[in-house]
Amino acid sequence: MMMKGQSKSGAAVLALAGLIAGAAQAEEVIKLGLSVPLSGAAAVWGKGAEFLCNTAAREIREGGGVSVGGEIYNFECLSYDNKYNAAEGTKVAQALLNREGVKFIGGSVGTAPVQALQALAERQDALVFTVAWGASIKGVDHPMTFTQMNTPGEILPLLIAYIAKQYPEAKSVAMLNPNDATGKETEALAGDVWGRNGVEIAASDFYERGTTEFQPIAARLESLKPAIIDLGATPPADAGAIFKELDVLGWKGVKVVEVGTGADGLKATGGDAAEGVYMGAGVTFDGDNATDHQKAVNEQAKAQLGESLNAVQIGFYDSVYALKAAMEKADSVDPKTVADVLPQVSFKSFYGEEVGFYGKELYGRNQQMRLPIIVTKVIGGKLVEVARLTP
Amino acid sequence: MQTFIQLSATALQIGAVYVLFSLGLTLIFGVMRIVNFVHGHIFSVAALVVAYLLPALATGGLSAPAAYVLASLVAITAALSVGALLYIFGFRYFQRDLVGSFILSIGLVLLLDGVLLHVFGGAVRGVPEIFPGRVSIGGAQVTVQRLFLCAVAVLMAVSLYLTLGHSRLGKALRAVSYDHEAAMMVGVPYARIAFFGFMIASLLAAIAGALLAPVTIVSPVIGTDYLIKGFIAVIIGGLGSVPGAILGSIFVASIETFGSYYLDSSYATLAIFGLVIIVLLFCPKGVLGRG
Repeated sequence: MMMKGQSKSGAAVLALAGLIAGAAQAEEVIKLGLSVPLSGAAAVWGKGAEFLCNTAAREIREGGGVSVGGEIYNFECLSYDNKYNAAEGTKVAQALLNREGVKFIGGSVGTAPVQALQALAERQDALVFTVAWGASIKGVDHPMTFTQMNTPGEILPLLIAYIAKQYPEAKSVAMLNPNDATGKETEALAGDVWGRNGVEIAASDFYERGTTEFQPIAARLESLKPAIIDLGATPPADAGAIFKELDVLGWKGVKVVEVGTGADGLKATGGDAAEGVYMGAGVTFDGDNATDHQKAVNEQAKAQLGESLNAVQIGFYDSVYALKAAMEKADSVDPKTVADVLPQVSFKSFYGEEVGFYGKELYGRNQQMRLPIIVTKVIGGKLVEVARLTP
Repeated sequence: MQTFIQLSATALQIGAVYVLFSLGLTLIFGVMRIVNFVHGHIFSVAALVVAYLLPALATGGLSAPAAYVLASLVAITAALSVGALLYIFGFRYFQRDLVGSFILSIGLVLLLDGVLLHVFGGAVRGVPEIFPGRVSIGGAQVTVQRLFLCAVAVLMAVSLYLTLGHSRLGKALRAVSYDHEAAMMVGVPYARIAFFGFMIASLLAAIAGALLAPVTIVSPVIGTDYLIKGFIAVIIGGLGSVPGAILGSIFVASIETFGSYYLDSSYATLAIFGLVIIVLLFCPKGVLGRG
């Protein structure tokens, strides 16, 4: 009797072990590395990126996972703080690729840290998604890199042309950008586009990231008496502080933040001076156009992050779905095979549309997600969509 | 002339903050002969607590100035508590040990970076203006908030100067700063005086944090920029010298302001570092320092 009982228990244990093994087999995990700022003025991008990567991974898991070669895979997001600089970006690259063994970068922020990441990732044939604005990280020399957000090449020609058309009397612009790869590349393109729209460049300056006193910068910008001030790739929190100091000095003109991604950081530091700012990468979910899914995820984000979602963060949601589509089409989780297939797939973006990749004319290969360019403006303290332009 | 007045006013406003910061650094160095890189984090704690507490108090029905005063008191208490913990469990064991305190200081910076990020999150916080409005002084536009900041900075600098010059504690602080062994021989309790010195420095940083919260970008890393500028100010003015810290602060703020205006913000930053190199080449102990 005793033996019989032991046999039963043994069989149960074996069955349980078998079930656990089977479950473990079904729970194949693909790590998605994220190199993002989790501290400083740009931290909100990193925190939101982490949130949206996790959101997409959870949705895919609940939807049955990624089906490849008869196996079911799920995504796990691993985020590391690159502090928006090259030195930390190098450390993050080492940690993700060498220590964590990551083969897919679900997203990365900041041209300088992304350049560091890309150099290492390319040697290891890892696939890289990025929202970095630098045009230098794109092209035929970077077959493993894909852009998950509109960049200056897509945004600036349309955004600047729109603003120039709205204010035909505004014929001078003063530009300010962070003194790094992101700022330098944005400045070069923006300067060219403003010129093509008949707007004279009064001055183009740079400042160091981490600056906390913006009074001298504002004093210089104001002294030029420009009709437009374009803060380029300046993060919203820094931009708010600069516009606040400009307001103290009495400057009234057209305010532009090309990389402006949301009004919360801008209002937090700029207060009333944030009013009227145009942004090229902001998204609002307050209007009638927003879907129920967008509204629900945005509410979760606000509860968790204290801010509405923005375009930088949305890229981290879209890249997860793009990877799922490419892996299933390629029937492989090998990063090189997935990268080969990625330009041919389409997937449902967080924006609600089915999108694919384009950019061959501009960059030499299709590596840019075809996303809408949403022009927003702070009106009455709220971010309002004033135009949706198709690249 | 109008531009010069505006820039001078800006330099004085920025310099006022650097003064509060560098006075603390120079006091700690003078008394304990250590370099305290965590000073910026004490400043950050105060600014962050104000940024988190003030909106909640204001929403609760308190007027903006009352909420600010209450939030500042809590913030300064929190920052002083952090300062006391750092001293009791860390710096107390590394007094007059430049290398040991340097290593400890760097370690504590990394630790507090993580703690502040975890507790307060990485996003920037905005603090509404407590004293709205602006005034014109000789044609220069200055906000009332900044004027308040300058007034408190001047008050703190004068108080510290009078304390060091005329009080019993001040004399003891100066005595251990000149020769701590001789001071101990005549009955000055060095350990207690060092603790008071550290706490006065922490108080200055905490007040600077609470004052600056409504006019700057509050985040866990806010102290870093001020720490660097504060160090440059005391190096130029002379480590351990109170007048040197004030002079250095105004000098750094002036280079930053006029450099940003006539050149570029990035070049102004370079100019500040260039200035430090020149001062160290020709005056290794700083302009007014004893080394």
